[in-house]
Amino acid sequence: MQKLINFILNKRHWFVFLLLEVLSFAFIYQNNAFQHTMMLSSASEVCGRLNYISSSFYNFVNLKHVNMDLMRKNGELNLRLSTLNDKLNTLLADTVRFKAYIQDSTHTQESIESILATVVNNSVTQLTNYITINKGRTDGVLPDMGVVSEKGVVGIVTSVSSHFAIVLPILNPKSKLSCKIGTSDFFGTLIWDGKNISHANLTELPRHVQYTKGEPVVTSGYSAIFPANYIVGTVESLNKKGNDDNFYSLRIQLATTFESLGHVRVIINHKQMEQKMLEKEDYKHDK
Amino acid sequence: MINKIIHWLIYFVLFVLIQTLILNHIHFLRIATPFLYLYVLLKMPVGNYSTNLILSFLLGLTIDLFMGTAGMHAAACTLVALLRNPIIKILQGSDLPKDLYPSTYTFGMKSFFRYCFFIIFIHHCALYLIESISFLDPLYLALRIGVSTILTTFFVFVVEVLNPASYHNAEP
Repeated sequence: MQKLINFILNKRHWFVFLLLEVLSFAFIYQNNAFQHTMMLSSASEVCGRLNYISSSFYNFVNLKHVNMDLMRKNGELNLRLSTLNDKLNTLLADTVRFKAYIQDSTHTQESIESILATVVNNSVTQLTNYITINKGRTDGVLPDMGVVSEKGVVGIVTSVSSHFAIVLPILNPKSKLSCKIGTSDFFGTLIWDGKNISHANLTELPRHVQYTKGEPVVTSGYSAIFPANYIVGTVESLNKKGNDDNFYSLRIQLATTFESLGHVRVIINHKQMEQKMLEKEDYKHDK
Repeated sequence: MINKIIHWLIYFVLFVLIQTLILNHIHFLRIATPFLYLYVLLKMPVGNYSTNLILSFLLGLTIDLFMGTAGMHAAACTLVALLRNPIIKILQGSDLPKDLYPSTYTFGMKSFFRYCFFIIFIHHCALYLIESISFLDPLYLALRIGVSTILTTFFVFVVEVLNPASYHNAEP
């Protein structure tokens, strides 16, 4: 007995080592399998606050570029508004208007809203990248909501704390986004290859897919996370590596610039729950 | 004793902040990131296995919190903390005084460089291997490990040369 105790005491660093390694792999596994380790993530209050301070500095430095982007976008929207107004006016001019219009009593709220959030932590260097934003459960952000920037799709919210949320961006091999090619409506899955932060692959396309270079790739809207036709990127070329006998794979230039992400919008789809419930119900009958 | 603990805590906070606020945003050629926080681990006293293991684990875990990679750095740091004493014994012989702080002064330039390089190399191998569990590309992996190791070693050496404490005494 004495010998055993001595042995354990002498070799205790091995036991400590094993314990700590098991602990860290438990964290890794949990984090990979499902976002359970809320306490151990950058959405926790302490890390979130600190990241928020540093990001407010970085955002301030980037203000010039952000301003330029906004001005450009504003100009585009103004142009669009005036053309649409023109169209509307011409249409109104030769349409008889029914003035006594009573709003439908079954009128529901808009099914899609968005919340503006600031990126407080952003990684693009790793294989599994995550983004932390400064809006959480108290602001109405919940898991499985889509996140977009002013340029294009960013990712999907995976876990939330009361004031912060973690986004799984396209730049993460775990992210699988259902996309379609703008004009032809062929749909496939967008997967990141882990190398280039401005490119991803659109896989599982049928072999007879037709595409032209520079064609927009947009969200399909099937999952109800993103509304349909939201820009993801543009087709660059045929991906030689990812092809097999049945499916094609295309190389996509992503629209979002992930390395300079400042402000994003979280999309709230009020009908997402309904769609999910319905699909779940239906799948249950299948079994 | 208290003095040493406070010194170490200052090291800990300072290098974790430098790592998370500045260096994590660096990605040289979109391949490599320097992990300067390993300097804290490199400068721990020789011997006293269990304490070093636990402190290294905490160091890794703190970095994990900020990077959103729960567990990866903790696992790599714990591994390195275990292998640290054997490596020092191989490089310097086994008759070292207890509570020796590794530095260019106590080890000599060449030996300290070898020590740093081995530790950093093992850490980066472990880290990137764990990271690539979900996605394996051997050539890219080797490239990342190689370039990151060189970058981190360079940063560690710059800090070591600039650190006045590493010249006149062995303590941090």
